[in-house]
Parts: sequence; C-alpha cells; structure tokens
Amino acid sequence: MKPKDLLKITLGILTSIGGFLDVGAIATSAEAGAVFGPRLLWTLAFSTLCIIFLVEMAGRLAAVSKHTLADALRERFGFRFFVIPFACELFVDLLVLAAELGGVCLALQFVTGIAFRWWAFPVALLVWLFIWVGSFPIVERTTALLGLVTIVFIVAAVKMKPDWHAVGAGFIPSLPPKDAAHYWYLTLSIIGAVVSPYLIYFYSSGAVEDKWTKKDLAVNRGVAALGMGFGSIVAMGVMIAAATTLLPAGVALDRYEQAPLMLTASLGITGLYLFAASLGIACLGASVEVALSVAYLTAQTFGWNWGENLAPKRNARFATVYTVFILLAACITFTGIDPLKLTLFTMALTVVILPLLLLPMIVVMNDKKFLGDHRNGWISNTMGVIIVLVALILSVAAIPLQIIGG
Amino acid sequence: MELLCDVLDQQVLDRNERKTGKVDGIAVEIRKGKPPRVAYLEMGTDVLARRLSPRLERWLQRWRERSGRTVVPFQVPWSKVMKVHLTVDVDIDASKHEGYHVERWLAEHVIGRIPGAEISHEEESS
Repeated sequence: MKPKDLLKITLGILTSIGGFLDVGAIATSAEAGAVFGPRLLWTLAFSTLCIIFLVEMAGRLAAVSKHTLADALRERFGFRFFVIPFACELFVDLLVLAAELGGVCLALQFVTGIAFRWWAFPVALLVWLFIWVGSFPIVERTTALLGLVTIVFIVAAVKMKPDWHAVGAGFIPSLPPKDAAHYWYLTLSIIGAVVSPYLIYFYSSGAVEDKWTKKDLAVNRGVAALGMGFGSIVAMGVMIAAATTLLPAGVALDRYEQAPLMLTASLGITGLYLFAASLGIACLGASVEVALSVAYLTAQTFGWNWGENLAPKRNARFATVYTVFILLAACITFTGIDPLKLTLFTMALTVVILPLLLLPMIVVMNDKKFLGDHRNGWISNTMGVIIVLVALILSVAAIPLQIIGG
Repeated sequence: MELLCDVLDQQVLDRNERKTGKVDGIAVEIRKGKPPRVAYLEMGTDVLARRLSPRLERWLQRWRERSGRTVVPFQVPWSKVMKVHLTVDVDIDASKHEGYHVERWLAEHVIGRIPGAEISHEEESS
C-alpha cells in the first residue's frame, strides 16, 4: 500500500468516527448503559458490523460505477419505486437533523445555562455557513479533527474501572433481566442510530466527490472497517461510562440534564465541559453531514447539478434544498421538544424505513451492469441477507415497541 | 440498447457536462405504416407526476392554471442525444434552455443574492 493510500485511510477513518458518532449513537448508548449496564454492548457490536458492510458496499458502488447509491437505485428500480424510500428518508432525516441540532443546542445549554431552544437558529446558521462557505475536504477534515475530542468517553469508561467481566458478557446477546419492552425498544434505537441511512447516502456521495476509482477499493475497505470500528468503540465507551456512573446512581436518564454526570463522576467539572464539547462537536459534524446528505439525495433523485465544491450559484437547487431543510429542522428544535426523546423516537423510526433502502441496495450490489466483477461476494451477500432479515423483523416489531417501550 | 433499461431514469448531462436532470419520460411517435420512433426525452415535475398517477398530474396542472403559471416542458429531441452509456449525453446548453427555469430563477433571485454564492472550490479538490 502506498503512503498516499495510508493518508487517505487515516483521513477516512477520522471522518468516519465523526460520521458514526452523532446524537443518536451517544443518546442511545447512554440510555442503554444507564438502564441496563453494559448488557446491550452486543447490539452495538452487531449494528457496527452491519454498517461496516453497508458502507463498504456504498463506497465500492461509487468507486466502480461512478454512481452514487441514489443514482443507482433510481436507475435500477425507476422513479415510481424510488420515490417511496426517497420520501420516507426525507421525513426521517428532517427529524434526525432536528435531533442533531438539538444535541448542539443542549451542549451550549450545559455551558451557558441558556435554554437550548434559544440556540436553535444560531446553531442552524452555523451549520449552514459551514456548508455554504466550505468545500468537501474542509467539511471532511474539520469534522474529523474536532471529532477526536469524543475519545474522552473511552478515557472516562476506563477510569471508572468497570467490571470487565460484565463488559465481556455484554457482547453475548442476552434476554432482558427486567422491563423487556424497554430493552427491545433500546435495541431497536441503537440499531437505528448506528445503521443510519443518511450516513450510507453521504458516504457514497463523498466517494464520488473525492473522485474514487477502482484503485481506491482497498482504501474503501480500510476506511469502512476501521472508521466505523473506532466510532463504535467510542460509542461503547459512552455505554460503559453511563453504566458505571448513571446506573449505580439510579439515574435512568429520563431527563437530559442528567447526562453530563457520565463524565463529571470521573473528571469533575472538567468533565462537564468535555461532555458539552464532545456532544456539541459530534452533533455539529453530524448536522452538517445530515443536511448535505439530504441535498445530495434530492439532487441525485431528480438529476440536478450537485457538489459541495461547486459555487452555490452553480447548483442553486442543491443549495436551496439544504438551506430550506436546515431552517425547517431548526423550527422543530425551537419548539423545545425534548432532544433526548426526539432522538430515541427518530432512531427507532429509522429502523422502520431501513428495509426500503437495504433490500434494493443488495439487489443493486449484485447487478453486473453497475459492478461487473466487483459485485458482492458470498460473504457480503450473506451479511446483506442477515441485515435485511433483521431489519424486516425489527421494522414490524418497531411500532408496538414504540408504544409500549418508548 | 433498450429504452426502458438503458435510457429511462438515467442521468442527463448537457454539452458542458452539467447535470441537467434525469430522463423522466420518453416520448415515442407512432407513425402509420412505419415503425415507431423515439421523438424526445422529457424531464421535469409534470412527467414525473404523470408517472406516479394521472390524477396527480391533473392536480398539478389545475394548480398551475389557477396560479396563472405556464411551464415549458423540458424536452430534448432524440436527434440531440449524443451518447448513451451510464449517462445520457445531450447536445444542448441546459443553462439557456427554457425548461431549466427553476434552477435559473433560484440562481438569479435567491441563491445568487446571498453573499458568497460565487465561491467555488473546484480547483483545490482536483
């Protein structure tokens, strides 16, 4: 492997940690840790394996066929079909973006004491400016570097000296000790938070923005596996930190104000600032990615000119989409809806629409026209079938679980 | 080449390689005593609405009539199609085409008026 490839992989890994760790991953892991200790680590591990395979597929499709996932899906299945996953995705992404903005606003509330809803529009403006002025490499690198602060969760998890046997046991799927409905609702939310469709669309568009070719297939594999893997370790840190602090204190995290306790227990007042910084930066990066992802998806669905490197005037409809979308999401955040509850609800909703994306995606990944000799092998296809089956079962179970467990 | 497989729903690029739209519809001319011929490719909301349901298209047209808008359909004659391979390359300049009015209007009246709308990063990325 060439040094240039190594640089690309390192950069990709950093970006992926940023993409992986968002309000969904932090909130669901924290809540799971607070209520069930490290028992749900297996869900994190399983969903990480799923997203690694899916992201690798999306990157491979883009590198080989020069088609983004949205392009390929519309071409293969036609507009009449694709309009359904497209519309569902827009709706869920709006809620996801509102939750991400809410995460940044909460971080600001922790530091300033000013109620989070008042931060909705300033934060929205910041996200918009980032996209408006920035180029794709700038967006990539800034979120990547700033995202490193989230490593503090791993530090906190280790510092609290968790029961490593219990942590190990958490990787083996187990039945809930109590409150089964809540347990499965959290399982659902974690999977929805980790296997996020916006990330898959974003990654495939990013690969086209970075002009990947077949030569980048090794880079793609490295970035997918290591990037998502490291992101997952940070999320596990969140869960363990919550398990060692919130669970013994009897804090079930039913109010978001309780969340910083995860870090203040081991790091004192610095922990509060580090928690706010981690949450704020992770959610800011994710907000940028969700807003861009929506603009990519819409432009690719209708064939409009798109690209984060182009001047906004050269792709006016693309720029209009993210501008309007950020504004709408900010309005939702401004209503003062509890960001934690909104996040858990949205993540569970993501699972409901997941089969609509994954099933056609697996079909495209086996299409000779797009991928030639780089079609899915038996490992990817086996994994693909497992993911689709799990998603189908969960999406059926999601609605009753939302009502009972959420 | 198969029309439905290789042309419909493909990305359309104009002569400046600008992404212009997707092939949302294909109009075929039925001629007496001769084989049918592809007349033009069509892009835009009207043809998309028609594909979803004829009722949706009627609603859209009624709404347009009421608000007094006339919309020029974005049609590209088949003779302007240069290449069909993964993309459909056509020999027109989209930015000057009547069917491109939404993009042009947004660029001139909304996006173009915000400071920084001309900042491009194309060179640093390549």
